[in-house]
Amino acid sequence: MKSGTRLVLLTVPGVILLAAIYVWPMYGLGRMSFNETGPTGAMIPALSSKTWRELFADPFIFELTWNSIQLSVVSSTAALIFAYPLALFLFRTQSRWRGVIAALAIAPMLVNGVVRIFGWLAILGDRGLVNAALQGIGLTSQPVRLVYNWTGVTIGLTESLMPYMILALVAGFGRLDRSLEEAAASLGAPPWRRFLRVTLPLSLPAVALGWLLCFVLAMSAYITPKLLGGGRVFVLATEIYELSITSVNWPLASALALYTLVLLLLFLAAYSAMSRRQA
Amino acid sequence: MMKIARRPLLAGLLAAPALRGANAQSRVEGAITLVAYAGIFQDNYTKTVVEPFLQRFPGVRVNYVPGGTSAQMLGTVRAQAADPQVDVVLMDVTTSHIANLEGLFAEISPAEAPSLAELYPEARAVGMNKFGPAVTFDNLVIVYDKQNLKPEISKLADLWRPDLKGLIALSAPPNIQGLALTAMVEKMEGGSHTQSIDKAIAKLKTLAPSVQTFEPNPDGYSLILNGVVRVATGWNARAQLYSDETNGRLGVLLPPEGSVFQINTINVVKGSKNRAAAVAFANYALSQEAQKAFTERMFYAPTNAAAAPKIDPKAIARTAVSPENRARMIPVDWVEIVKVRDMWNNRWRREIVAAAGR
Repeated sequence: MKSGTRLVLLTVPGVILLAAIYVWPMYGLGRMSFNETGPTGAMIPALSSKTWRELFADPFIFELTWNSIQLSVVSSTAALIFAYPLALFLFRTQSRWRGVIAALAIAPMLVNGVVRIFGWLAILGDRGLVNAALQGIGLTSQPVRLVYNWTGVTIGLTESLMPYMILALVAGFGRLDRSLEEAAASLGAPPWRRFLRVTLPLSLPAVALGWLLCFVLAMSAYITPKLLGGGRVFVLATEIYELSITSVNWPLASALALYTLVLLLLFLAAYSAMSRRQA
Repeated sequence: MMKIARRPLLAGLLAAPALRGANAQSRVEGAITLVAYAGIFQDNYTKTVVEPFLQRFPGVRVNYVPGGTSAQMLGTVRAQAADPQVDVVLMDVTTSHIANLEGLFAEISPAEAPSLAELYPEARAVGMNKFGPAVTFDNLVIVYDKQNLKPEISKLADLWRPDLKGLIALSAPPNIQGLALTAMVEKMEGGSHTQSIDKAIAKLKTLAPSVQTFEPNPDGYSLILNGVVRVATGWNARAQLYSDETNGRLGVLLPPEGSVFQINTINVVKGSKNRAAAVAFANYALSQEAQKAFTERMFYAPTNAAAAPKIDPKAIARTAVSPENRARMIPVDWVEIVKVRDMWNNRWRREIVAAAGR
């Protein structure tokens, strides 16, 4: 058997697995979106574009899209701002506690997402730690609403994205060469200029990768907007859930899920194109 | 002695239709899968309905599968349409109506399930007089923190009290609690949801800034008992049970302005592999005996008209079918509500939730 044939054969189990767990369900989703839903909610088997037309005729879809993008951009950027110094420290430190610190940084990933959300509710709620502190030191007399709104969702999502951002940044910091910073220092560049002119540009590929990863995760995040949003935060993921689980409108839920997928693929394609141009 | 002698007699009388419906119970055997709600519903339904049924039909095994929400149950039945693994489903009427239209549930007649003949007419009407009928009636209530809220809530209009700002949890549509609340507020404002919900929307907009969450998780009762909010909407049966379990800390109010029935139906799946046992179970669940036991345990109002007079008056008084409460109920046709659900949902989002701020 030729080595090329052997290689192709080696891919067969993976292809079968992918087909079973991804392609076939995607086909099901696509097919479902061409069914119709009657006025009483009953699903009508059909091969019609009615559901898709309904989807794009409703301006709320664009509001949902904008909300999702806005939330994803803000939380991914916030995660980047908080994670960058941590990741740089983890990358550079020679401390014997490095392993422990790294484990702590990604520890939130080990905790169930729902449990983390209820933790945030306890911390940020009207009677939570933050409000107790604010009122204790006399900054406010009434609780400041930090959950059940966009603020709560942004905080929760940022925190849940940070471990992914840290991992992506640490993995991508391989291109950082200390000697280049030392060279800049020897030429009289102060620390802030060394960071802006040397460290940051060299870490940009890692930043872009980490940000994109977090953006995609945030776009599809469901638990955080659902539990911390208090019914005020409408994004694509929560709408897909409502349509499929509460309104039982599977055709529309499928169409919206596919729309979201295409949207994400477009973002990935744009990133790919930009990366190629940079290279 | 008298009391002891009466009980078996009463039980015998109550069970008669159930037994009549399945007088061929020796021929009913095998296993059935029942899909219904989880948690305290499952605990209490098992004790008051499933276990007594098993005693009457020793040849039958009932596999109670918690099915999540009604919509999730519908998903299960849809997915198994070609080869049903479920025999009986207990779900909300808005979803069972969809399943009936999609041909997922079978027709059942009084000839095979005599308990059907004893039901309130509206209980059979929800199954179009041929599909699974209503098995429980419940109604929307206002639940509140009886310990910490002074004065207590005494009417729906009290939700607008300034001292409740930020202390209210409402379930917005498409949750049916939100739909029911819309009909109730429209009535409170002198309108009728069958004509328009403009008055309800205008009034609820003024309530929106006082609402802490439009999506209480895990539910309004828990948020009150944990001190997160003081007032929420809820369902009467669960609220009454939680009230008892917390020694009355949870207050339950059926608003004098009116409330709305929520209906659960019991359905036999089309293509059930053990239809005889499935029908026997549905018949028993609708019987006077089972309805009495479940109402007295969990305060769901019975759908069997003949059972109602035999139920402990104290239990009946805590349901929506007591004469006083029944008079306050607002007639709502859930099938019609489903047709306007998207429109109501959109108005809530754009007008009420938007007024609550981000």
